[in-house]
Amino acid sequence: MEILDPTVEPRQQPLTFVPRPDSLKGKRIGLVENTKFNSDKLLFKIGEILKDEYGAAETRMWRKHNSSVPAHDEIIDEAKRGVDVVVAGVGD
Amino acid sequence: MTTELKSKRYAAADVAHAIEVAFEKGWTDGLPVVPPTEGAVRAMLDGAGLEPEQQIAFITNRQVAVTAEKVAINAVMAGCKPEYMPVVVAAVEGIGDPRWGYHGPATSTGGAGVLMIVNGPLARALDFNSGDNLFGPGWRANATVGRAVRLVMRNVVGTLPGKLDRGTLGHSGKYSYVIAENEAESPWIPLHVERGCRPEQSAVTVMAAMAPHQVYNQLSSTAAGLLTTLCDAMRYPGMAGQPNYCVVLAGEHMRTIAADGWSKADIRQYVFEHTKNTVAHFKRTGRIPGAVKPEDESTPRPLVTAPDDVLVVAAGGRAGTFSCYIPGWGSRTSSQAVTVVIKDRRS
Repeated sequence: MEILDPTVEPRQQPLTFVPRPDSLKGKRIGLVENTKFNSDKLLFKIGEILKDEYGAAETRMWRKHNSSVPAHDEIIDEAKRGVDVVVAGVGD
Repeated sequence: MTTELKSKRYAAADVAHAIEVAFEKGWTDGLPVVPPTEGAVRAMLDGAGLEPEQQIAFITNRQVAVTAEKVAINAVMAGCKPEYMPVVVAAVEGIGDPRWGYHGPATSTGGAGVLMIVNGPLARALDFNSGDNLFGPGWRANATVGRAVRLVMRNVVGTLPGKLDRGTLGHSGKYSYVIAENEAESPWIPLHVERGCRPEQSAVTVMAAMAPHQVYNQLSSTAAGLLTTLCDAMRYPGMAGQPNYCVVLAGEHMRTIAADGWSKADIRQYVFEHTKNTVAHFKRTGRIPGAVKPEDESTPRPLVTAPDDVLVVAAGGRAGTFSCYIPGWGSRTSSQAVTVVIKDRRS
């Protein structure tokens, strides 16, 4: 007998990564906060370290609508225009 | 139907071997599955009048298209009859709806299941249980339709426990969590009609849901008395700002509340008003951050945003002074209950 495969392979998506900067010196840092408790404090601390120890010029933080969704278009658009590097993650 | 089924095929010596192949491939929920042969899968597709390549849902976060062929294969594996297929399809449409927000409830450490409430003539025609042992075993439709949806989540969308299903505890409703409303005995407007369907339509409502919590009151003979107990049970363990709660009122409680002339709208309003905590309570019990301020003692915080976020369902055994409530998962912005009409695509 033959049985059919119930699974699928996810659709392939081409993804192009921007080259990582050699240094954070003078770079503008974006911080994307996922709304979980303390994630803003953690990212703020990371931003301070990036400024104090790695010479980043400034930081800016955005807040997602909630932790289950990708960063919304407004964040993406402003990040494209206003920062060089983004730090994001899931704090839980 | 002559359209080719495109899924990869595996050889098996016999049924017992096919069951083992499914285990080895990681396709099951831990229980044996029915081998998905081409004949069985075609019968499942015919049961809903669907062509194999038709898209039932698209899960954006995973970039996965859920086709009728894959839903049918998983429905066969779950043990569904072909006539259940339209219900499975409607439930998959529901969890693919952006309002349900697949990624959050399917993935979260919160460990939600997919509560499916079936309403309308099909619920009775297909013998979905709406009575005794409501959440328990014993009914093929309830057991296999929910199982099929979970297998679709696992096998098609990749919601694998420990990988993209990170539930810390989960609950047994994640095997199958399907009930029907007892419309034959209910004195109230059915859930799907309250949510915009016509009475002659059948529908399934999907809600990202935690396990049911049973509530007992053998003493009260009034609606307010019974609902006081229910609200007391709901209130203190409640979270701050869930999208939905489902209240399931079983036979004796249903009849007592209805005898007082209360509608579902009255019940929702009462539950909404009587399950409010104070902000101080949430702070003291570690659900809201920050120190308790004097004004927090008198600042109310409801469990849900509005009375309509409480889904009231008449279901459960005729005997016994029990009802239950089911907390929803997450927040209003991350997942909301969705009602989908079960379509008859057979011409």
